[in-house]
Amino acid sequence: MTTVWLPCGDYHENYTEDQGWWQSRLIKGKMILLLLLVFVVIPLLSKYEIILDSYWLGVANMIGYTAMGALGVQLLIGYAGLITLGHAAFVAVGAYTSTLLILKFPWPQVILDLGLAYPISILVAAIVAGFWSVLFGLPSARVKGFYLILTTMAAQFITVDFILTQYVSKIGGRGQAFSLPPGTIKIGPWAIETDTQRYYLMIILLTFSVIIMANLLRSRVGRAWIAIRDNDIAAETLGINIIWYKLLNFFVAGFLAGLAGAFWVCNCAALSPEHFPWFWSLWLVGVILIGGAGINGAIYGSIFMVMIMEILQMAVIPLSEYESLEFLIVKFAFIKDMAFGLAICAFLIYEPRGLSYRWWQIKNYFNLWPFSY
Amino acid sequence: MELFLMTLTTGIMVGGIYALVALGWVLIYKCSGVLNLAMGELTLMGAYVTLAFYSMGVPFVLSILCTLVIGIALGILVERIFLDRLIGEPILAVIMVTVGLSFFLKGLIECIWGTDTRVFEPAIFSLKPFTIGYLKISVVYFWSFVLAIVLFIVFVCFFKYTRWGLSMQATADDETAALSLGVSARFVYAASWAIAFMSAGVGGALLGNINGVNISVGYLGLLVLPAVVLGGLNSVPGAVVGGITIGILQNFAGTYLDAYFPGGVKEIFPFAFMAVFLLFKPYGLWGWIKIERM
Repeated sequence: MTTVWLPCGDYHENYTEDQGWWQSRLIKGKMILLLLLVFVVIPLLSKYEIILDSYWLGVANMIGYTAMGALGVQLLIGYAGLITLGHAAFVAVGAYTSTLLILKFPWPQVILDLGLAYPISILVAAIVAGFWSVLFGLPSARVKGFYLILTTMAAQFITVDFILTQYVSKIGGRGQAFSLPPGTIKIGPWAIETDTQRYYLMIILLTFSVIIMANLLRSRVGRAWIAIRDNDIAAETLGINIIWYKLLNFFVAGFLAGLAGAFWVCNCAALSPEHFPWFWSLWLVGVILIGGAGINGAIYGSIFMVMIMEILQMAVIPLSEYESLEFLIVKFAFIKDMAFGLAICAFLIYEPRGLSYRWWQIKNYFNLWPFSY
Repeated sequence: MELFLMTLTTGIMVGGIYALVALGWVLIYKCSGVLNLAMGELTLMGAYVTLAFYSMGVPFVLSILCTLVIGIALGILVERIFLDRLIGEPILAVIMVTVGLSFFLKGLIECIWGTDTRVFEPAIFSLKPFTIGYLKISVVYFWSFVLAIVLFIVFVCFFKYTRWGLSMQATADDETAALSLGVSARFVYAASWAIAFMSAGVGGALLGNINGVNISVGYLGLLVLPAVVLGGLNSVPGAVVGGITIGILQNFAGTYLDAYFPGGVKEIFPFAFMAVFLLFKPYGLWGWIKIERM
């Protein structure tokens, strides 16, 4: 799926080109345009409030947060065939590690002055989440398929509903939530307070995650994962250490989840376990099912799901002005659940290969346009 | 000692309800190979439908019968609309359709009945416990257990002695052979979903009597997953033993471990147990061990 049909006359002469990041000049140009769009054009548009305003940057942050989580799920489900229904647990571990480090760790004054506490905590959070994910990935050495789903569900309930809710949240005797007063989260000289700043942080972390994942997938590690997904017994006979690679997959997925969690910290005023319910794990899996295969599948899926919810909200608000339809706004959360459930079912029944497959078809059509062979 | 026995009896009683719901789960898996994660919401549905009938003034037993009828209709409907098209699709697709279904049902329930806890009023069972020897048993638990066991026996007899039940068993055993003998697989799938809805519905109605009806009843329905894993995914006796064991374990955890791990250890323990159990015996007590070849 990652390959695109090249236009007539473009061909690869050696394997390095075949594995290359940007396979043709057209793709390179498109990618540079995309980077320009996300790094320059969108912030500029929102700064001068052309088409977009800061509300839409908030939506973009939500998309980025979803995408970072979904990338990890894509790595587990899409590339190693390890089905997980507990990814929110690892996002939560990342968020809590980061918060605890910022609020409770006795940082030396130098680091505080330089504003390095949050960046360091992001990295530490990602690593801690990675190891936490390996811990719950251990059963994957013996079980797979449905049984693995159950152990990851256990990870969700044990981590979020038990450890975080009952113990971690009570650190400092504040009850349920850690409040993050404005100004506590600083990167260098900037306190991360506005949506634009969060947007930049999000887009940097997301680009970073995508680079990690894309590079891993085109290396020996990625090929080993794909081999395990396609047939684990055959992979073992080819000399791939299945357990090691499965655990590595769990680690990287947890690492990406940790990044997402640590990013989410700067987006909320107070952190509580309710941010990471089982619903969120299922949501992330739903995102990649709707998005389809590949890294871009995870991103299309996040864009689609977040935008659908926004559109639903925009439809509900004017409708609820009519007196007889006022209940819609009260019950919006429930309507959201129903819409999400229906979207998953509809996609699996009518479009089982997801949005990225459709996109791939469109792209190929235009690559070979007007004379397809 | 007294505490020990009381915990044990409560565990067995609640476990009976779990066993009933687990039976429905195992049935779907045996007949159609669908791993159903929507069981919690089916339980919830049963609890609310029974409550709705009961609060309209229908006697409790009659409202359970009505729930059974609605369960049949819903089960067939769900099977026809969503799962019929997914026969032969990869396991993740089928599981995720049940997840999507669970979201849909949950949203629907919350839309109709809201999120407040509701209780059966007037209370169906008297609050005063009765005593056998020096055991105090709460009336709710006792009758729930009896009803669960009665229904359980009815289901088992249905499988053993009726034509429909036999055709379901045949499909579960070997689908191709059953088809060649003139069993309609589609009928069997619909029937298994109908029975699952029925058993989960009654389970929900009984669980709702213990602590009132709210969304967390769905969580109790989710406890069937540890139960079926313990017993083995495709074993009917396993579902019973698993259900009762999970009930007992849960109550023992609540009684004895709560002092060391304050908070929700009772809710979490079955899942933690399941995760550890899977490491040692992945196919459960009586599940079929799958031998994989290339």
